[in-house]
Amino acid sequence: MEEDEAAEEQQRFSYQQRLKAAVHYTVGCLCEEVASDREIRFSKQTIAAISELTFRQCENFARDLEMFARHAKRSTINMEDVKLLARRSNSLLKYITEKSEELAQFNSEQRAKKRKKLEEENQEPVEPAEAAAAEQDNPSL
Amino acid sequence: MEGTSGGFRKELVGKLLQLHFKDDKTKVSGDALRLTADLLKIFVVAAIRSVRQAQAEDLALVDVDQLEKVLPQLLLDF
Repeated sequence: MEEDEAAEEQQRFSYQQRLKAAVHYTVGCLCEEVASDREIRFSKQTIAAISELTFRQCENFARDLEMFARHAKRSTINMEDVKLLARRSNSLLKYITEKSEELAQFNSEQRAKKRKKLEEENQEPVEPAEAAAAEQDNPSL
Repeated sequence: MEGTSGGFRKELVGKLLQLHFKDDKTKVSGDALRLTADLLKIFVVAAIRSVRQAQAEDLALVDVDQLEKVLPQLLLDF
C-alpha cells in the first residue's frame, strides 16, 4: 500500500537524520578540541559542512568495505578490509596499519589473560581455540 | 588504547555503515568497527586541519570558503 511505503520512507528519513545528528555532535566535539588548541573558532556552517561530508564519506566506506569482504568471499568485514580503504595515502596507510597492529596486540593480550584465568580456575590446561594465535607452549599436547 | 580525546563511537559507526550495505548478511567485526572509527576521526581532523591551514589571513573564524578550497585534495586522499 502506498501509505505503508510513505510511512517507511518517513521512518528511514528520520533515522538518517538521527544518525546525522550524532555525526554532527562528534564532529563538533573534534572541532572544539582543535579550536581550543589554537584559539580559533569554527563557524556553524563549517561544522555542518564537515559533518555532512563525513556522513557521505561513510557511504563510500560502507560500499567499498562490503565489496572488499565479498571479494574475499566473506560476509563479515574485518580489519584487512578497512586497511584497504586507507590505501590511497602512504601516511594514512601507515597510521591505520599501526592502529590495527595495536588492536591485534590488545586482543591477543586479552585472550592470554582469559585463558590464564580459566586455567587457574579449572586447574587444567585449556585447549587453545585457535592454535595459530597461541603464544604459549602447551606441554600436555 | 584509543579513546582519550573525542572520536566516533563503535555503535554509531556500525549503524552508519549498515545504512549503506546492499546485502542484509553483511556484518562488521568489532575490530573493524574500531579501526573504521579511527579512520573517520582522521578524516574529520584532516578536514579541520587543512581548513585551518588554508587560512591565508589570520582569521579568527574559519568559514566554508576555506573548506571549499581544500575539499578536492581531501577527497583524493581518501
